[in-house]
Amino acid sequence: MSNSYHWPVLPGKDTKKVVINVDGVDAEVPEGTNLVEALKTIGIETPHFCYHQDLPVAGNCRQCMVETDGPRGMGLAIACYTPVRPGMKVATDRSSEKVVQARKAVMEFQLANHPLDCPICDKAGECSLQDNYMSAGRQPSRMREDIGKQYKGAPDLRHEDSKGQERGGKHVDLGDTVVLDQERCILCDRCVRFMRDVAGSEQLYIASRGDHAFISTFPGEKLAHDYDLCVTDVCPVGALTGKHFRFQQRVWMLGKTETIDPTDSFGANITVEHHDGHAWRIMPRRNPDVNKSWIANSSRLAYKALSENRLASGMFGRAEVPLHQAVSRLGELVRGARKVALVASGHLTLEDNVAVAALAHALGTKAEVFGGSWLPVGQPDGIARTGDPVPNRKGLRLLGIPSNLDDLPGRAGEFDVLVVVGNDLWGADASKAKALERIPERIALTPWLDATAKAATLAVGVRSWAEARGTMVNAAGRIQVLQAAPILPSPDLEPVWQVLSAAGGLGWTSELDAFRFAQARVPALAGLTYRTIGPMGRPLEGVSA
Amino acid sequence: MATLTVTQNFGKGAKDLSVYKSLGGYSSIGSRLFDLSQFELIDLVTSSGLRGRGGAGFPTGMKWSFVPRNSGKPVYLVVNADEGEPGTFKDHFLMLEDPHRLIEGMIVCGWALGVRTAYIYVRGEFLPAIEALNAALKQAYDAGLLGENIAGSGYSLDIYVHRGAGAYICGEETALINSLEGFKGQPRLKPPFPAVSGAWASPTCVNNVETLMALPWILENGPAAYQALGTPKSGGTKVFSVSGDVKRPGVYEIPLGTPLMELLESPDLCQGVIGTLKGVIPGGSSSPVLTAEEAKKANMDYEALASLKTMLGSGAVVAFNETRGAVGMLASLTRFYAHESCGQCTPCREGTGYADRILKTVVAGKGRDGDLEHMLDIADNISYTTICPLAIADAWPIQNFIGKFRSEFDAEVAKNPGHAQARVSSDFRPGAFW
Repeated sequence: MSNSYHWPVLPGKDTKKVVINVDGVDAEVPEGTNLVEALKTIGIETPHFCYHQDLPVAGNCRQCMVETDGPRGMGLAIACYTPVRPGMKVATDRSSEKVVQARKAVMEFQLANHPLDCPICDKAGECSLQDNYMSAGRQPSRMREDIGKQYKGAPDLRHEDSKGQERGGKHVDLGDTVVLDQERCILCDRCVRFMRDVAGSEQLYIASRGDHAFISTFPGEKLAHDYDLCVTDVCPVGALTGKHFRFQQRVWMLGKTETIDPTDSFGANITVEHHDGHAWRIMPRRNPDVNKSWIANSSRLAYKALSENRLASGMFGRAEVPLHQAVSRLGELVRGARKVALVASGHLTLEDNVAVAALAHALGTKAEVFGGSWLPVGQPDGIARTGDPVPNRKGLRLLGIPSNLDDLPGRAGEFDVLVVVGNDLWGADASKAKALERIPERIALTPWLDATAKAATLAVGVRSWAEARGTMVNAAGRIQVLQAAPILPSPDLEPVWQVLSAAGGLGWTSELDAFRFAQARVPALAGLTYRTIGPMGRPLEGVSA
Repeated sequence: MATLTVTQNFGKGAKDLSVYKSLGGYSSIGSRLFDLSQFELIDLVTSSGLRGRGGAGFPTGMKWSFVPRNSGKPVYLVVNADEGEPGTFKDHFLMLEDPHRLIEGMIVCGWALGVRTAYIYVRGEFLPAIEALNAALKQAYDAGLLGENIAGSGYSLDIYVHRGAGAYICGEETALINSLEGFKGQPRLKPPFPAVSGAWASPTCVNNVETLMALPWILENGPAAYQALGTPKSGGTKVFSVSGDVKRPGVYEIPLGTPLMELLESPDLCQGVIGTLKGVIPGGSSSPVLTAEEAKKANMDYEALASLKTMLGSGAVVAFNETRGAVGMLASLTRFYAHESCGQCTPCREGTGYADRILKTVVAGKGRDGDLEHMLDIADNISYTTICPLAIADAWPIQNFIGKFRSEFDAEVAKNPGHAQARVSSDFRPGAFW
């Protein structure tokens, strides 16, 4: 803790490469980056705890030891704080017994006072202590059982366990979201740095000193920040855990689906983690060009909605009908309509919205497409939210769908059928939506039994953002792919584009058909495939931020 | 009587400005100082051979020359008066007896480095010394020796006294700077070194009290005279705090290179050891201990002690006789370092504590074979792997006390009837899983 901040220098696309000697072999690595990153570029992983790509370097865990050449010959140095110099010599654990010994020693120290309660720890399976023990420790314990462990935790939480061992600092309630287990903590201070240097609100600190130091909030205060669950990500051990995920699942059971945060136009990269057909958590997925390693609590908790209040069938007014009936009724209504208002949605993918446009095209002049949202737009927070709750607003603009939703209530009398696609108009602004109830047939395609579904004469359940593949364009003009997680609440649910394709007789069999249709209309999408967009997305040519 | 360069005013009431002036004080604050350019002054200090008296013994002139001149930021001088090394008490007495000499030394250093604001970071427990300093500062300000336009020279310097909150680690210069800034006292990663980016990310010179207090004498008598007091490589005099089993413990200033036994036995100095000398800690608790035989060969200068694989350190000489048990002494030291480890980096945080708990177990009569080896291994593993040298300050006593008084430690372990019992259960078979 001090006024000196050492943000890590990470390799960029344009970083100059220089030759250094690693374990006796010359290798090209990016100049000026720290050795952890430089060695990673040539396939050498360096075990570490406190180092994090998106936090200032603290250099306190001492696990990433390598040997480098200095004025006094080869000597131990921490890789995370040693920059690459041209021609430098580096010895890793592959060639230096001294490095092996130093890393083993640090691992032994880390474990000396750790409770080793992996069987009941939520972090087990994704824990740096476990991983680094396998790569850098792997030694029998030398610790005498009767010497025991140093008590770590706040003095007022101290108690004796059944073996007479001093324990404490267990399940300390830090606030609404995070629980702290002080005795598991290895004091890497990542959480402190996250709150101070990323969240910009110093709410955590290390109290006391020596081996009895512990993480704490300031006396009488709680951990409360829109991003405070990120401390559970940066925590390399099981000390900080989120209340939403404690004791829910063993992490090695979880399948991971790489997708995009649907709650904000920042387009934070996330992973939906699921098991047994349920989404159990959302984790940030590092993308240095978008959200770095951070997502807001609201993005992280968005998985809960995936299993709450779902519309897994069709609704005629209040009556539940099988989905296939609802879909064919939808087709009849739009084909038989005098004039149809189709409301596209920035909450849905390009594929879904292009299906709206294609349906309007198929219906000819009797159809009109409206776009936009009535949700209030907030302010950017400078971390991973723009404040705009409509994730694909830019994608709608790209497709040429007008932002004219506000015209619709005044013109409601012109239409006899309204199709609202994934846009909770009644939930966003019930007073504006009230005028739409003049339209006799109101059809809602929605994953949720929301206010719009209830106000509709016909509601059709569809797949949510997490269950269908597609693309979105974030506020910065970056196209990114959402992948489908195997978590359908009902096997009958279909993506929006598929329902609309059936209703309009478009004959699309995959989201690729929809994407190709969009490519034909939008030059910026030309030449792209899901594969070339890749898991990190790519900025669209000619689309400004 | 040997020449004194730092403690000559002891016992003369020099706390008071008029007394200090009547003893020749502040004579350098005038043309003698201000006629020198910064470079001339730094050269003068370099040629005097003055080295940092806080422990590391880094050449003072060289340290000053590292401070950049055109960084566009203010240069700070911070006086390290956080004297916390067990056995050391010289700075406390220096500030108590002769605070004006420190102020004078700070003005000299300030002029050399272009300092506008200087701080004295005093260990919080030194309340009388702090009061003496504050009183002296007030007198100096009133006499126009501090503040704007010192003695009509056009040079201005402000000095503030900052009380530490009580941590050994705050004697480490970057931890001290952190503490001064209001952060937790934990050492910073280096580089950048304080000379380039220290207090408030500005160039900062951190010097020990005694180092700065030697400056007025050097200015008055010339660098050659100071250099001539010591050995060719260790110039000048050094203030030693002698404690332990000697007849007259206290603060003594002697030329560097004086034999250790002369310090302990001279009738002018400590007047002899009580009982039979068993060993001496020559430079503060972290310096490797010397046995009586080694102590008889030791000269008190940087090079001679380095050749005995120990160090001059802060000049805290602790002599002990045959009634003192090595185990108990080491137990005190490991307890101290475990308590004072700042907890920032892993090897020191966990290693100092674990070594201490092993030794406590041994002292409690529950030692087992292999415990001492484990302690020595911990000492190896915490050395040179941490941000600051506190871990080494713990490792050296462990290695040297156990190494040089091994039979006592073995006897302590053997007091446990079950000492041959295995230290850890044999359940764990490495490789059994994979």
